[in-house]
Amino acid sequence: MKKTLYTQIEGGKGFWALLAGFGVVILAGLASMYYMEHNGHWVTGMNNSVVWGTPHVFAIFLIVAASGALNVASIGSVFGKKMYKPLAPLSGILAVALLVGGLAVLVLDLGRPDRLIVAMTNYNFKSIFAWNIILYTGFMAIVAIYLWMMLEKRFNKYSTSVGTFAFVWRLLLTTGTGSIFGFLVAREAYDAALMAPMFVVMSFSFGLAIFMLVLFASYRMTGRPLGDYVVRRLKNLLGVFVAGVLYFVLVYHLANLYATEHHGVESFILTSGGIYTMLFWVGQILLGSLVPLAILYNPATGNSRGWISIASVLVIFGGLSQLYVLLIGGQAYPMKTFPGYEVTSSFGDGMIASYSPTLPEVLLGISGFAIALVAVTIAVRHLRALPASLADGETDPHAA
Amino acid sequence: MRISKLLQMVPAALALTLSAPALAGDGAGPEVPKAIKGEECVEPTSDMRRNHMEYLKHHRDEALREGIRTKQYSLKQCLECHVAPEGDPQAPQDSSEHFCMACHEYAGVTIDCFQCHATQPKETASFHPLVTPGMKAIKDQAGRSGELLNQFAESHASKTRTGAIQ
Amino acid sequence: MSEDTNLKRREFIGNGAKLAAGLTIAPGVVVYGLSEASVPDRPAEEPASSERRWGMLVDSNKCATGCDKCVTACGEENGWDDSEPNSSPEQKAQWIRKVELRHKGTGKSHSLPMMCQHCENPPCVDVCPTNASMKRADGIVLVDRHRCIGCRYCMMACPYKARSFIHETLTDQEPHMPRGKGTVESCTMCVHRVDEGREPACVEECPEQAILFGDLNDPDSAIAQALTRYDSTAVREDLGLNPGVRYRGI
Ligand code: SF4
Ligand code: SF4
Repeated sequence: MKKTLYTQIEGGKGFWALLAGFGVVILAGLASMYYMEHNGHWVTGMNNSVVWGTPHVFAIFLIVAASGALNVASIGSVFGKKMYKPLAPLSGILAVALLVGGLAVLVLDLGRPDRLIVAMTNYNFKSIFAWNIILYTGFMAIVAIYLWMMLEKRFNKYSTSVGTFAFVWRLLLTTGTGSIFGFLVAREAYDAALMAPMFVVMSFSFGLAIFMLVLFASYRMTGRPLGDYVVRRLKNLLGVFVAGVLYFVLVYHLANLYATEHHGVESFILTSGGIYTMLFWVGQILLGSLVPLAILYNPATGNSRGWISIASVLVIFGGLSQLYVLLIGGQAYPMKTFPGYEVTSSFGDGMIASYSPTLPEVLLGISGFAIALVAVTIAVRHLRALPASLADGETDPHAA
Repeated sequence: MRISKLLQMVPAALALTLSAPALAGDGAGPEVPKAIKGEECVEPTSDMRRNHMEYLKHHRDEALREGIRTKQYSLKQCLECHVAPEGDPQAPQDSSEHFCMACHEYAGVTIDCFQCHATQPKETASFHPLVTPGMKAIKDQAGRSGELLNQFAESHASKTRTGAIQ
Repeated sequence: MSEDTNLKRREFIGNGAKLAAGLTIAPGVVVYGLSEASVPDRPAEEPASSERRWGMLVDSNKCATGCDKCVTACGEENGWDDSEPNSSPEQKAQWIRKVELRHKGTGKSHSLPMMCQHCENPPCVDVCPTNASMKRADGIVLVDRHRCIGCRYCMMACPYKARSFIHETLTDQEPHMPRGKGTVESCTMCVHRVDEGREPACVEECPEQAILFGDLNDPDSAIAQALTRYDSTAVREDLGLNPGVRYRGI
């Protein structure tokens, strides 16, 4: 295999047009944030029962995907798979960018984002949130060092050990994100030991889907050759991850069905939950898992980049649906404060809570993607991170 | 418009007016309303001007987190003396007549105290800044002896206030 | 025994009124005298101490369906009764609410007030990233709104749905109860009254004397006595949070 040549992307019209496009989305997100903060959250769909709404769905998706996006690099340096090595820098950049995007959304949806400094100076070390802040900042720092080791020739020899460290850290990070839910003892939907490992597999799948889209798009836009070998390997991997998530979802629901105490919340999600049931079956299972699997493994579609891209988009859509069902559906289902009793009150006890997302919330969420993509675009413009060619001759060890 | 409404708008307005006079140094100074009660503050005026935020912050943490309920440095107590209750002829009509805000606007220092804290004392409390539970209970129960109680409250109040200053 | 307490108080107030003429010479006596009824007084400069643990015992047998005097009293006392004109009913704050229960098997119904249970091991405090949610030495759980960033994690963690988020700009707050947009709040056990030696507003206003307030750590207090004498339960006892609010009759 030849030595990989990394180059920056051109700063032409296309580059600026891309930035401008993302910029508009970010501005829309910021405007939404200003609107929500200025008026207060009464202009959003949230209420005292569903306290984490659409922005949190996007934020958690991005954060989970961030650690997954680093996977490609880990496979290259930690598990020594040669083909993935040239993809490592982009993988690292995307990981940090997605994390920044997700955290931005999270912060901008706070009741008092102006108090961020308070959050940084008063730590409650018992809080998994505070732990996550350390995990996130640490992740960024480690990946930054990792990138540096990869991009600076004389440090290349350290990149494997730093890469391994980054890999361990990313597992911690996703576990930490999953544990945000694990600590909510009273919420039935989140009461599962499976939550943390499920989040890890979800991160593999979401992160890779985004990575593939970014890879395809950047190679197309810059006119660089991208061989079928890389594409085929990545899409097979995505298939495995999607199937993995599906497996965990299955086990999670079977376990819940087994435990009598969780029958209520199960039948809510699976049969009677209206929008949540619909998103679960149609969004998460059908469009987000089964259809992409069919696309990826059907020889008629599995070799077409167009179809693979569609499959990746569907995986992302399925992931957002999954988090929506889990996060918002889990809150909409009433807590069992008085087991064995029918409960009514003026505060929604014993009732399915209502939540409908509003435009500003959705815009804020989407702007998280735009923030991440702007960061990636700028990074590949200024760092030599993209291989000049990923044609089969460069990557396939068996090619002539 | 109510004074509390107006105060809510201050932070936004501040950014625009960011104390042009202060920067220009015209020497006029802010027009700070005079206290409506008492002659002296809990610390010398020069000290209060410079350090009131430290006193307030220290007290706020002690009061809320530990339950130390001394009155000397409590924001509520500042307002009892410095701002007239709503409906009172001396009550501020806009933020420039509010003791805290007049100066903060002039200096261009944004504070968010009044996003949560009441901007004026309530009528009931203004009857006496140091309403003790005993007195309140008695006042409620034996409303007719109010005259006597008020006298008592007044004398007790002045005693306590001077006590705090020393 | 809750009758006892009230008897004592009424007796005392009678005396107080008689004493009024002599007040000028001995205000201190009056203050201390009053508080002995149920809430011992604590000098202002003394911090709350862990020797006390404030708690409540709610007797749901006495609590009438349809009565919400405690809710009204709390709303007026703390200023949340009519403070959020823009918020939807689901968004408006409710520090205390009446809950109606009907047993699925037997059909037996109960009525009771729910509010922050002032847990000994409060999940809201554990999860709060900034230590804004906090437990005072005497067991009262509060939100320090100077620190609250409005992340709502505490609302996710509280098993009793005791907390409310403020969805809009507030004005005309009660001077003793600051509250505002973008922060979270809940029942404070009327901490401002307790620190003055008074009972919480809901306790005072309940026409049935269904809520007993006092120091759980003081074996002689009416509440501690009642707890040794009668069966009582904590809501979701299984979670092991040891709430300071307990219930009779469910
Ligand atoms: S009832 Fe809820 S808000 Fe109150 S202390 Fe317990 S967990 Fe915290
Ligand atoms: S909303 Fe406020 S009190 Fe609740 S966890 Fe967040 S910072 Fe703490």
